[in-house]
Amino acid sequence: MKPPRWFRWRPAAIVLGLAVALALLPPVARISVYTQNQLTLTFVTIAAALAWNWLGGYLGQVSFGHAALFGLGGFVAARLQISAHLPMILAWTAGGLVAGLYALAWGHPTLRLRGPYFSIATIGVGEATRLVCTYWDWFTGGSSGMSLPVTAGLKLQLYWYGIAIALVGVATSYWLRRSPLGMALLAIKSDVDAAGDVGISSVRLQDGVLFLSGLAMGICGAFNASYYSFIEPVETLGFEKSISFVFMGVIGGVGTILGPALGAVVFVLVRQYFIASYPQLYLGLFGVLLVLVILFEPLGLTGLSLRVARRFGYRERPDLST
Amino acid sequence: MRSLNLLFALLFAQAAPAADKIVIGATLPLTGSESRIGGFYKEGYDLAFEEANKKGGLDVGGKKMRAELLLLDDTSAQATAASLADRLINSDKVQFLLGTYSSHLVEAQSVVAEQSGIPYVNGGGGAIDIYKRGFKWLFGLLAPVQNLSGALMEWIDSQEKAGKLPKPSRVAVLWENTAHGKDFRQGVQDFVGKHRGDYLIEVDESFELNGKDFGALLGKVKNARVDLFLADAHLPDYITMQRQYATMGLCHKVQSYGARGSEKQAAEALGKENVKYILSSVWWNAQLGKAGITKHFVDLFKARYGRAPEWYQAVAYETARALFLGIEQAGSLDHEKVREKLAALQVESILPGGKLSFPAQSGQQAIYPFVVQQNQPDGSSPIVWPKESAASPGVAPNPDCK
Amino acid sequence: MIEHLLDLTVSAFLLAGLYATMAYGLGLIYGVLRVVNLNHGGMIMAGAYAAWWAHDQFGLDPYLSIPIILVLAFLVGVLTYAGLVRRLPRGAAGGVQSLLLLFGVWLILRNAAYLVFSGNDQTVLTSYSTKALPFLGAQISVNRLAVFGVALVTLGALHLFLTRTYVGKAIRAVAQNPESCTLAGVPVQRIYMLTFGLGTALASLAGALATGLYAFNPGFGATELLKSFVVVVLGGLGSVAGTAVAALILALVENFSILVIPSYLTSAVGFVLLVLVLVLRPGGLFGQRVLG
Repeated sequence: MKPPRWFRWRPAAIVLGLAVALALLPPVARISVYTQNQLTLTFVTIAAALAWNWLGGYLGQVSFGHAALFGLGGFVAARLQISAHLPMILAWTAGGLVAGLYALAWGHPTLRLRGPYFSIATIGVGEATRLVCTYWDWFTGGSSGMSLPVTAGLKLQLYWYGIAIALVGVATSYWLRRSPLGMALLAIKSDVDAAGDVGISSVRLQDGVLFLSGLAMGICGAFNASYYSFIEPVETLGFEKSISFVFMGVIGGVGTILGPALGAVVFVLVRQYFIASYPQLYLGLFGVLLVLVILFEPLGLTGLSLRVARRFGYRERPDLST
Repeated sequence: MRSLNLLFALLFAQAAPAADKIVIGATLPLTGSESRIGGFYKEGYDLAFEEANKKGGLDVGGKKMRAELLLLDDTSAQATAASLADRLINSDKVQFLLGTYSSHLVEAQSVVAEQSGIPYVNGGGGAIDIYKRGFKWLFGLLAPVQNLSGALMEWIDSQEKAGKLPKPSRVAVLWENTAHGKDFRQGVQDFVGKHRGDYLIEVDESFELNGKDFGALLGKVKNARVDLFLADAHLPDYITMQRQYATMGLCHKVQSYGARGSEKQAAEALGKENVKYILSSVWWNAQLGKAGITKHFVDLFKARYGRAPEWYQAVAYETARALFLGIEQAGSLDHEKVREKLAALQVESILPGGKLSFPAQSGQQAIYPFVVQQNQPDGSSPIVWPKESAASPGVAPNPDCK
Repeated sequence: MIEHLLDLTVSAFLLAGLYATMAYGLGLIYGVLRVVNLNHGGMIMAGAYAAWWAHDQFGLDPYLSIPIILVLAFLVGVLTYAGLVRRLPRGAAGGVQSLLLLFGVWLILRNAAYLVFSGNDQTVLTSYSTKALPFLGAQISVNRLAVFGVALVTLGALHLFLTRTYVGKAIRAVAQNPESCTLAGVPVQRIYMLTFGLGTALASLAGALATGLYAFNPGFGATELLKSFVVVVLGGLGSVAGTAVAALILALVENFSILVIPSYLTSAVGFVLLVLVLVLRPGGLFGQRVLG
């Protein structure tokens, strides 16, 4: 069987090798529980950052409301596990599907808006979702949130699931960028009307990407709830959560394939450092990074590393740029 | 350099702490919206640790061990409180945990302690939901919030019986949308249910924690023409709401903000005349410190900080002391042994009622009576209920209302 | 009941003044530069802190410190434009970029405020903070009345400025067609700078006014920014009357929604309205196109 045209052996082998090495870390290298937990959170954050990028990067529709999808997926999954005793993975899937559908519900009409107006609409969606979910306390537990049953050994299991989720996220990112579909998305991003003229069904494609993004976000949120055995609406659905995805995308490189993953790693590391020593300062630091990136290197860390690589004589293949 | 250290801390397990001291971890909201109260709890914790170490440390099976508090700032954010507990347990390798402040943070944080099997003693979570989850490692010193509003209603009922309030009295219940607020509301509803015909709940509304504009809510209260204004709010919301209350020219025969009302910060931010006659039902009051260990605590606190303690510091102090007693009684740092001793603890306490235990039937949440206090025009807040501790009969209805 | 309805109406009118002031600066900047100034929220916060600080340190009445705050904020706006916004491409591609850039500025501002003033809620307490005047049987807070008065004067002055002065006319001309303005010898860059300063000053004015009504902390301004969006989208760009009507609609809808939904959800009404207006009438109520 021949692999599809967008498939490349080398990156696939590197990513897969890295995943296997990471998966073997806890039993072989005996890393501390704390390190293992931090890695778990990094994996799921990577997946979420990539999912944001499908919309924000590939379609150029920057969402300030993705926490709504992240949180909704978490709440649906948590509620199903508590009240219907659904198995974890099934509950995650359900959470992801609901989040995907919810994304379609508000995204289908708002995706017609271009540029800043879509972003503004997503702020409204995010905040309204937070308020309604907080009020709706029989479903979300109100501002206090709700606890999931505490199970022994779950954290190690989640470590491996986290790797799997991140891996699927990376594969999807490649597919969405490199397949003929990716070219169509690029066309929509550059000029919706012109894309329509050459026969690209922009509404269906945009809706599809949006649904995928919502689905992945919902699953990440559900994973997060299982990880903490706890979920509450104020932070999970908060504006700061939404903008954290924007940070990861912008810092790593909006629209690049693996940039947001890099951004997610940086975000988790920096936040983890600042949160114990200088809590609340990290927002300002990310503000500075945001300004610097936009002014000097719109492709973020990816652009920076490409620039450095070029200095050392590296020539990228034309289809690799962005 | 520090970031390199962090990276190493992240990648490699840290060495176990030295054997001659006990490291106890805790988080508190030291910055953010609840930073004032977080500071109060810190004062209580610090005092208890200093006192224990002045005696050479805790007596653990005949060996004196110094107690060290590793305190981090959770910024009053739930996810942060949970992540930091994870860090304290798994990276900093603390042996025990003291809790943070306010119910919704304790609810999130206690999950981590339960997962790791480490004793978690808190003086900041009073909502009963926290203790209904059947956690083994969780101990709470705040008596249930339902009893808080219950005590409030008892004093109100005594005033109604004395003919000072109309019968039936019309009630507005405003509660923050958290486990704390829901328990408060439940307490009022239970009481009203038992005294049918004496009270009518006319307004029953929730509001958002850390809300900024309560105008619509207060407008509704105003229109309902109630006699009793019973709200449950955290300190920042109390200040914001009371300010808008005063601006709108509202006045009720009885007014309360649950556990808040007597805080000096509120009188400063609002002006003394705008917090007059507000009732608060609290877990402790310095006027209880007439004798015994309660007096000892009050004197100790005054000597250290130069002012009288409020309930926040007292409960925090008692929380640390309860953990110390558990460790000393266990005579070991073994988590399971300390847990068993905490579960069986029966000691003299500075809390109202004078006894502290963590009964299994209430999910290891301490149960004891509340004290109701009322702000007076001179700035004091004497106890008005229960009768045996009361320093003043209290004032109802509010004489300032036209 | 009638009294309650009257109460709600009166307070909606008073609130609308603040909303209009808040939103006008945002609409002005977008209308002329096609830049979404997310730092608007940050400047609202900064205005509130400036008024509070002047009152706290020197006992200066918040209403008296307004002129100084306006001048300072105007300079901040000019600097923001000259130092940051000017470097970005304008138009469709620059739209999202400038949005993110100014969002970064907002975060920096927020954190600076946090470092200097801590995260505690602050309030300005003056002798008349809790005073109220009777009006048609209702009590109207002196502060709300004063805020309304300042808002009316400001909007009136803006209207005159934009329609009667040369600079004002130039701003309107640049908003319609910057290219031909360049040809006609209008210093477009300077007009941009001026407009950005003006919009920023208006944001800080709204913040200073808000100290009389709300408590605030470094996160203040986020909700206000969203409400400004609602007003701008509803009212269209640049028209003083449109902004005023839109502000009134938002205030009325918010205030009257308490009659049908729990008070908890009244703050969500604005957000829902924002999305609905964007989806159903993306051109605003008065027909300006904001699409594409």
